[in-house]
Amino acid sequence: MAHKLGIVAFVGGLLAFSIPLFAHHGGASFDTTKTVTVKGIVTDFVWTNPHVLLRLDVKEANGTVTNWVVEVWNPVTQTNRGWSRTTFKAGDEVSVDVTAAKNGRPIGMIRGRIVINGTEFKETAAN
Amino acid sequence: MSKRLAISIVAALAAGVVSPLLRAQTAAPQAAAAEKWNNVPPPLSTYKDKKPSGPAPRRDISGQWDSGFIGAMGAPEHPASVPVGPQPVGRPDETGIAKPLPYTPLGLEALKANKPSRGVREIDSALSNDPANLCDPLGFPYMFLWEFRAIYVVQDPLKVIMINPYHAGVRIIWTDGRPLPKDPDPRWNGYSVGRWVDDYTFVVETTGLNPRSWLDHVGRPHSEQLRVEETYHRVDRDNLTLTMRIIDPKMYTEPWFAMNKFPLHLLPADFDIPELLCSPSENKAYNDLYATPAIREPAK
Repeated sequence: MAHKLGIVAFVGGLLAFSIPLFAHHGGASFDTTKTVTVKGIVTDFVWTNPHVLLRLDVKEANGTVTNWVVEVWNPVTQTNRGWSRTTFKAGDEVSVDVTAAKNGRPIGMIRGRIVINGTEFKETAAN
Repeated sequence: MSKRLAISIVAALAAGVVSPLLRAQTAAPQAAAAEKWNNVPPPLSTYKDKKPSGPAPRRDISGQWDSGFIGAMGAPEHPASVPVGPQPVGRPDETGIAKPLPYTPLGLEALKANKPSRGVREIDSALSNDPANLCDPLGFPYMFLWEFRAIYVVQDPLKVIMINPYHAGVRIIWTDGRPLPKDPDPRWNGYSVGRWVDDYTFVVETTGLNPRSWLDHVGRPHSEQLRVEETYHRVDRDNLTLTMRIIDPKMYTEPWFAMNKFPLHLLPADFDIPELLCSPSENKAYNDLYATPAIREPAK
């Protein structure tokens, strides 16, 4: 499985002009010009305010494991988008596109594609 | 065949046909009941060009009202965003926004002291001094200028009660003719009185607001002199508009509109609005795990 894990970065500069930022906070801490694909194993899914958090163990190329924390909106907005508190569970193998923290720490805001155990998760449209 | 037997046969046949129908009718509400919690509002596009279900009732704004969602860029009439391109970060003032506000020198100073996590002046959320980041009450009008999604409005002969399940905002608007207080102790939600200026237009005045709160999520300030004037106009049974005027001569050189005929849409009477509360312990956990480690320069 190790070959499936890890992170892949690509430039998504154009996305910065079109992706809405979060209600509670903006992108000051994050490099909104890039999107990073994070692949790993879910260790926790925190369904609370002010933001829902997903924690992932990501195996790096050198074999070390890094725990990433990535966020989405709050439970109300996520519910409106078709999520629930059981969308992710510990042990799921996932891939998420994120905008990562500028300071290089394994922290990010989920943007774009989400794949859970090999199946793409499609959000519903929300206000 | 006797008449009694015939009646029994008809009754038995009828029971065989009707009882499944009865079961279906009773099962449907049970299934529906399971859906009657934490309801999801319809997309705003469904309201567009929708034919109203009836005329406006007289002197009545009660019901559950859907605002869509007012995001975090500030008062809808004066969003603190730049027209194109990515949001700049940490700008000292609101230079460059499409509709700047008429700050007094004191107002501009107060604006700069407020450090928001959204808008053109946004900084890292863990460093923001937004009262909302401490789970302070949003107060009014902050509760209508951020996280304004859906509200309950309840009326009785003496008052109108507005309940915002997001951040647990509750407002009591007295309609019994009492005057506003002359020298009130500040309250987060202030003191409100309302009156009908015609059968479909309800005007609310609010004073005595706590200056510790912000006006909106981008750090617009207000003083203890703030007076907020709201005009609710019932367009038809399904539609209400809200116009909100901000009057604070200490912070702004002239009154300005935060909302102008902002549309509110009637939700079904049994629509259950979900809660969204700021829990200090959850907020701390979030900051410890996520927001603080994300600060651009690690905290010293």
